[in-house]
Amino acid sequence: MTTYVYLSLIPEALIASMLPPDDFGLYYAIGSAKRSRGQAIFFSVDRDAINDAGFPLVDADIRCVPHTDGRPKRSLYLSIYRTLERVPRDALTALHLATDDGRVLTIEPQDFVADGEDRAHLYQEFCPVTPRIVSHLDPAEFARFITDKAHNVHVPRIAFAELTLGNLKNNPDHHDIHNLPYPNIGHLRDCLRELAEAPEKATKTVLRQITQEVLFRTIRNGVFVGDATGISAFPLPTHDALEREHLAWWRSAQSTFGQ
Amino acid sequence: MPAWFWLVPVASIGALGAAYGFFRQMMKESEGTETMAKIAAHVRAGAIAYLKQQYKVVGTVLVSLTLVFSVLAYVLEMQNPWVPFAFLTGGLFSGLAGFIGMRTATYASARTANAARDSLNHGLRVAFRSGAVMGLTVVGLGLLDIAVWFLVLTRFYGTQDSQQVVVITTTMLTFGMGAAVQSLFARVGGGIFTKAADVGADLVGKIEAGIPEDDPRNPATIADNVGDNVGDVAGMGADLYESYVGVILASAALGAAAYLSSGSDVQLKAVVAPMVIGALGTLLSVMGVFLVRTKEGATPKQLLASLGRGVNGAAVMIGVTSLGVLAAMGMPNLWGLWLALVAGLLTGITIGRAAEYYTSQGYSPTKRIAVASKTGPATVIIGGVGEGMMSVAIPVLAVVSGTGLAYFFGSGYSFSTDTMSLGLYGIGMAAVGMLSTLGITLATDAYGPIADNAGGNAEMSGLAPEVRERTDALDSLGNTTAATGKGFAIGSAALTGIALLASYLEEVKIGISRVLERGSDYVFPDGSRIASAALDQLESLNLMEMMTRFEVVLINPKVIIGLFLGAMLALVFSGITMKAVGRAAGQMVDEVRRQFRDIPGIMSGASEPDYARCVSISTKAAQREMMLPSILAIAAPVVVGLIFGVPGVLGLLAGAGAAGFSLSMFMANAGGAWDNAKKYIEEGHHGGKGSEAHKAAVIGDTVGDPFKDTSGPGLNILVKLMSMEAIVVAGVTVAVSLV
Repeated sequence: MTTYVYLSLIPEALIASMLPPDDFGLYYAIGSAKRSRGQAIFFSVDRDAINDAGFPLVDADIRCVPHTDGRPKRSLYLSIYRTLERVPRDALTALHLATDDGRVLTIEPQDFVADGEDRAHLYQEFCPVTPRIVSHLDPAEFARFITDKAHNVHVPRIAFAELTLGNLKNNPDHHDIHNLPYPNIGHLRDCLRELAEAPEKATKTVLRQITQEVLFRTIRNGVFVGDATGISAFPLPTHDALEREHLAWWRSAQSTFGQ
Repeated sequence: MPAWFWLVPVASIGALGAAYGFFRQMMKESEGTETMAKIAAHVRAGAIAYLKQQYKVVGTVLVSLTLVFSVLAYVLEMQNPWVPFAFLTGGLFSGLAGFIGMRTATYASARTANAARDSLNHGLRVAFRSGAVMGLTVVGLGLLDIAVWFLVLTRFYGTQDSQQVVVITTTMLTFGMGAAVQSLFARVGGGIFTKAADVGADLVGKIEAGIPEDDPRNPATIADNVGDNVGDVAGMGADLYESYVGVILASAALGAAAYLSSGSDVQLKAVVAPMVIGALGTLLSVMGVFLVRTKEGATPKQLLASLGRGVNGAAVMIGVTSLGVLAAMGMPNLWGLWLALVAGLLTGITIGRAAEYYTSQGYSPTKRIAVASKTGPATVIIGGVGEGMMSVAIPVLAVVSGTGLAYFFGSGYSFSTDTMSLGLYGIGMAAVGMLSTLGITLATDAYGPIADNAGGNAEMSGLAPEVRERTDALDSLGNTTAATGKGFAIGSAALTGIALLASYLEEVKIGISRVLERGSDYVFPDGSRIASAALDQLESLNLMEMMTRFEVVLINPKVIIGLFLGAMLALVFSGITMKAVGRAAGQMVDEVRRQFRDIPGIMSGASEPDYARCVSISTKAAQREMMLPSILAIAAPVVVGLIFGVPGVLGLLAGAGAAGFSLSMFMANAGGAWDNAKKYIEEGHHGGKGSEAHKAAVIGDTVGDPFKDTSGPGLNILVKLMSMEAIVVAGVTVAVSLV
C-alpha cells in the first residue's frame, strides 16, 4: 500500500496517510462518522523532496500501516509547527480543496503569470498566519514582500489565495457589490480607500484572522505558495470548467456558508 | 332538459380524452439515462406508497361519515337520502383526480429533464402537457360527476316542479363535501409530508452536512421530491377539484332558487348555465394548451409569456364565447350575467397577478425582503410578515369588487335586497367565470412541481450545464406559477364560500321542509311558526326573510359567537398544522442524522442512503398529524350548529371565511416571497451564496415553508369544507339546536 504525505494548511501540519487524496479529503472534512465537518486545504507532497527537511519520515514507514482488520491508516501527524517553511515549494505536487461535505478538487501547479491589471487585490493568507489583506501588489510581488527578511513583519514562506473584489477592485465606492459575500463590506471599502489614498502603503489588514470557512467560489486566480525565491501557482479552473468537469465539487463549494 | 346541457358530458369526455392523449404522448418520451430513470423510480415508488397510506385513512373517514349520513338520512330522516352516495362519489372522484395527476407528474419529471437535453421548448412542452393531464383530468372528472348526478336526479325527481329542481341542485351540492374531505386530507397530509421532508432535508443535509440541494447523498432528498408531488400535485388537484365542482353546483343551486318563480324552463336554464360555462371553458382550455410553446434560449419573462399565452388565450376566448352561448341558451338578464362572469374572470386574473407581484423576485416586495436579509434573520422575518400582510389587500379588494360588481350585474343593475337571489346568482356566475378555465390554469400549477422534480433529477444525474440551465429556467418559472396558482385557489375559495353561504340557506329551507313533512310545526328563533301543512309558506320565504326569522343580525350573540369561533378556528387550524410540520420535520432530522451516523459510506457515495425510510417517516407523520386539524374542521360546523343553530353556523362560516381568506393569502404570499428572496440572493445579490444575507434568507425560507405549502393552502379548504359540511348537516341543525 502506498503511503501518501500531505501538507495541510488549516491547521498547519504534515500528515502521512494511506488514503489517496480524494479519500483523505473526505475523511479530513467530515471525520470517520460524519460527526464533524469542515473544509480542508492541503497539498500532496513529494516525499523524496523532503527527505532532508528533518521530518520523521521513518516513523511514517513504521506507523502508517494498515489496522489489524485491514483498514488503511487514515492519518499520522508528522509535524504541526513551522511545517510549511520546511517544505520546499517544488515538493508540492498538487493542491487539494475539500469542501465541508468532503468533495475534493485537485489542482496541478502552473507557472505564475501576472494578469497585468493595475488594481487592488484581496488576499486570504492560510499559513503560517491567517489575516485577510488588501494590497496594491500582485500575488508574486505580495509573496516577495511578505517573505522579505528586510521587513519587520515577514514569514519564511506563505500560502495564500487571491479573493475576488468584484467591482471594488478599481473603485472602493462602487455601488454594485452584489455577489461579494464578505461581511462588513463597509470596512473592506475603508481599507481599499485607505490603500488608494496612500500609494506608498503596500498592504492593509482587513481581517486579523480567519474564523470561519473560506468560500471557494470567491477565489480569484488561485492559491499561491511563495517565498523569497519565487511563487508556485495553483490556479482554480474557470467557472465553465468547474460546471462541466467538476460539477459535484462546484455545487458543494457553493453550498458552504463562510466569511 | 336544455339541449346545451349535453355540452357538459361532451366536454368531460373531450377533456379526459385530451388528458389521456397528453399522457400517452408523455409516456412515449424517453426517461433518459439509467440514473435518471432510477431517481424517477425512487420518487414514483415513494409517492405511490404515500398515497396508498393516505387513501387508507381517507377511505376509513369517508366510509365512517357515509355511515353517519346513512343513519341521519334513513334512520332519523333528517337528511336527503342521496347524501351518502353523493358524498362518497365526490370523495372518490376527488381522490382519483389527485392520483392521476400525481402518477403523471412522477412519470413526467425524468422525461422533462431528458427533453430539456434536446431543447428548452421540448422540455417546456413535456412538462406543461403533463401538467395539463392533471388540469384536464380534474375538470373532466368534475364535469362527469356533475353530469351523471344531474341526469340521475332529474330522472328521479323530474324537472317540471320548480321546487324539485331546487332539491336536485342542493342534493348535488352534497357531493362537494366528499370532495372537500378528500381535499383536506390531501392538502394537509401532503403539506405536512412535503414540508417535513423539505425542512428535514435542508436542516441536516444543507445546514449541518453542507450537502447541496437535490444531492443523492442526502437521505431525505427523495422524500423531498416525493413531497412536491403529493403536496403540490395530488393536494392541489384534489383542492381545485373540490372548488370547481363546488362553485358550479353552488351556482346551479343559486340559479334554481333565484328563478324559482320564473317557470321550470327558465329555472333549468339558470341551473344548467354554470355547467355549460364550465364545459365551454374546458374545451377552450384544451385549445389553450396547444398555444404554449417557446423558443430556444427564452428568458424567464418569455417563458412566463408562453404560459400566459395559453392561460390568457383561454380566458379571452371564454370571455367572448360565453356571451354567445348564454345568448343562444336564451338566458334572462343576458348582459348582466355575462358581465358578472367577466367580473369573476378579471377577479381571478387580478388575484393571480397580485400573487405574482408579491412573490416574484422580479418585483419590489420580494426584493425588499432580500434587502432586509442584509441585517439578519430577524429583519427577514419582519419583512416577510409585513409584505405578506400587505399582500392581502389587493386580493381582498379584488374579491369584494368582483363580488359587488357580480351582485350588481346579476341582480339587474341594483344593490336592492329585493333581488338578492338574482344578485347571489350573479356572484355564483362570477365564481364560475373565475374557474371556467381551470383546465389550463391548473395545468400551469401542476407544471411547477414537474419542472421542480425535473431540475432535481437533472442535478442528481449530473446532466450537462446547458441542460441544467434549461431545467433551472423551467423550475424558476414553476415557482412563479405555483404562487399564482395558490393565490388563484384561495381567491376561488373566497368566492365559492360566498356562494355557498347563500346555498346554505336554501338547504336550511329544505331541512325545515323535512321537519314539516314529518307532521311537526317549525318554530323559528324569532318565535314565528310555520305549520306543518303550510309548506308553500316556507317555499315563498326569500333569503332576507329567512335571515330575519333566524335572527341573523350582528347584535345576536349567537352570530357574534359564531364569528369569533370562525376567526379563531382559522388561526388554530394554522397553528396545529404549523406545529405538525415542526414535529414531523424533527423526526426527519433525527432520521437523517441517524443515517449519516450509521451508514458510513453515504458521504463518499459508496453506500446509498435509505430513502424509503425517510419517505416512510414523512408518510407516518403526515397520517398522524393530519387527523387533528381534519377532525377540527369536520366537527366545528356540527358542534356549533347543534349548540347555536343556524345563526351560529352562519357566523362561524362568515368568521372563518373572512379570517381564513386573509390569513391564507398572507401565509401563501409571505412564504412565496421568503422563498424567492432567498433565490434572488442566490442569483448573486446582496452577497450571493454563502453570505450572511444568504444565511438569514435561508432561515426566512425555512419559516415560510409550512406557511406556503401546508397551513396557507389548507386554510381555504377548511373554509370550503366547513361551508359544505354546514350544507350537508343543515337538516340536523334545523332539527336540533340547544340554544
